Amino acid sequence: MHRLWNRIDFAFSSAWQNFWRNAAVSVASVLIVWVVLLALGSLLLVLHSLDQIVALEKTKASAISVYLADTTPLSSAMDFKLHLENDPRVTDVTYVSKDQAMARFRQLPALDPSVIDTLGTNPLPASLDVTVKDIRDLAAIDQEVRNSPLVDKSPSTNYEPNVIDKIILLARVAGIAGLVLIIGLTGLSVFIIMLTIRTAIYLRRKEIEVMKLVGATDWFVRWPFIVEGLIVGVAGAAVAVLIVGFGYRPAVINLQSVLIFVPLAFDPVYLRIVLAAMLGFGLLLGSVGSYLGVRRFLKQ
Amino acid sequence: MAAVVEAAPQIHLAHVEKTYPNGTVALRDVTLDIPKQDFVFLVGPSGAGKSTLVRLLIREEKVTAGTIQVEGQDLSRLKRRHLPYLRRKIGMVFQDFKLLPNLTVFQNVAFALRVTEGALRHLKPKVEEVLSIVGLEGKETKFPEQLSGGEQQRVAIARALVHDPRIFLADEPTGNLDPATSWEIIQLLLQINARGTTVMMATHNREIVDVMRRRVVAIEGGQIVRDEDAGGYHAPALESH
Repeated sequence: MHRLWNRIDFAFSSAWQNFWRNAAVSVASVLIVWVVLLALGSLLLVLHSLDQIVALEKTKASAISVYLADTTPLSSAMDFKLHLENDPRVTDVTYVSKDQAMARFRQLPALDPSVIDTLGTNPLPASLDVTVKDIRDLAAIDQEVRNSPLVDKSPSTNYEPNVIDKIILLARVAGIAGLVLIIGLTGLSVFIIMLTIRTAIYLRRKEIEVMKLVGATDWFVRWPFIVEGLIVGVAGAAVAVLIVGFGYRPAVINLQSVLIFVPLAFDPVYLRIVLAAMLGFGLLLGSVGSYLGVRRFLKQ
Repeated sequence: MAAVVEAAPQIHLAHVEKTYPNGTVALRDVTLDIPKQDFVFLVGPSGAGKSTLVRLLIREEKVTAGTIQVEGQDLSRLKRRHLPYLRRKIGMVFQDFKLLPNLTVFQNVAFALRVTEGALRHLKPKVEEVLSIVGLEGKETKFPEQLSGGEQQRVAIARALVHDPRIFLADEPTGNLDPATSWEIIQLLLQINARGTTVMMATHNREIVDVMRRRVVAIEGGQIVRDEDAGGYHAPALESH
């Protein structure tokens, strides 16, 4: 126990001294770890949000809303509904009145109700929400209903065939660009941590010489430098974790108020996973960098 | 010579060659036995190979050919992870003392115990014991720069003694010291030898070697040219000139 404690105490107190003895280099390596982890955490959260949007769009994909012109009488609307229900490709049709549409609209998150009240009149059209058996039939149905005089002209339906593909493409591009950026920054941060450790070793070369001379084991000599690398990793991770941890929710709320129709949501469970991953990655960067720093050295 | 059959020598070199990667041949065909409790002067001009021999003994360097055994261990077969335990059996001092300037006398000596994970409960009495052997009681809280050269070498000797080494290697320990101080250091090495530790001292100090009349191993051009019990710095034929 005494020996273990001695080893831990020596490693940590030496590592702490090393860290402050070359403070400028240490702070630089903390900063680069911080940047890497901030990029990593942000990328994971952005990709997750895009995933959420894709998932929601997919559930909506087998339905379209057919907007009815305000001039269409209710009886005609009901005839049109019946006509669609008799179509073999259609499984369900629901009539949504102007009032119901307004009620739904009011439920959108982050929408200021007073803004709607100032409109005075209700600009939203009534609609028929049509669900189909096979989403490949949506395009044909969309074409047919557009020709009906009962249907509003601007816009006729909410059919947007490419929206999911576009989001998936966006997620893929963002993912690849982010990954490339993170791989580059990871290499850079490992290199800078390695330099930090080499500097620390250089500053301690006399002590190391004496340690080896009097019979200290290789690992006893190495541990302080490995611990120093871990301190760098944890310090960089801690700052990044705090920023992402406290910044995610306000960011989601702000985006919700700008992108009213995009279904963004705050996901606390996923946030916890991201923060743990950031901390783990910070420790990994620190240990790999310092291992590379001590590896070549101490071998004769 | 006493008619006692010696046990295996404590240090045994057989046909040792050392060539550095740049092609410099530092030692050639060196064979040497040093029994327990011996006191040996290693003499010779600069670059003769004395320091190389010392470095081979603590395996800071590996032999190119031949074998070295220390305490029965073949150094070329010694695994790297066992090397620290060999070094704990060998106390070493140098011309430049190799003290840590930011540590006090006490801390410099304790450092050797701490980094070799010695039992910490015995740290203080052990450090005090070796400091009293080298005569530095009362100087525990001084820093190296506050000490004379002789005192600094005593601290280095104390540090080399904390592991109760069986072999004591001194590479030019008096090289930076005035004659009077040099004699004090030699007295200390004699004391250490009298306690049962084998002492090997590489030196240029002719006066000390000549007065002491101990075993002298002379190296020139990487070869042992003379090995005499109770010898002088130079060979007898040269001394008559």
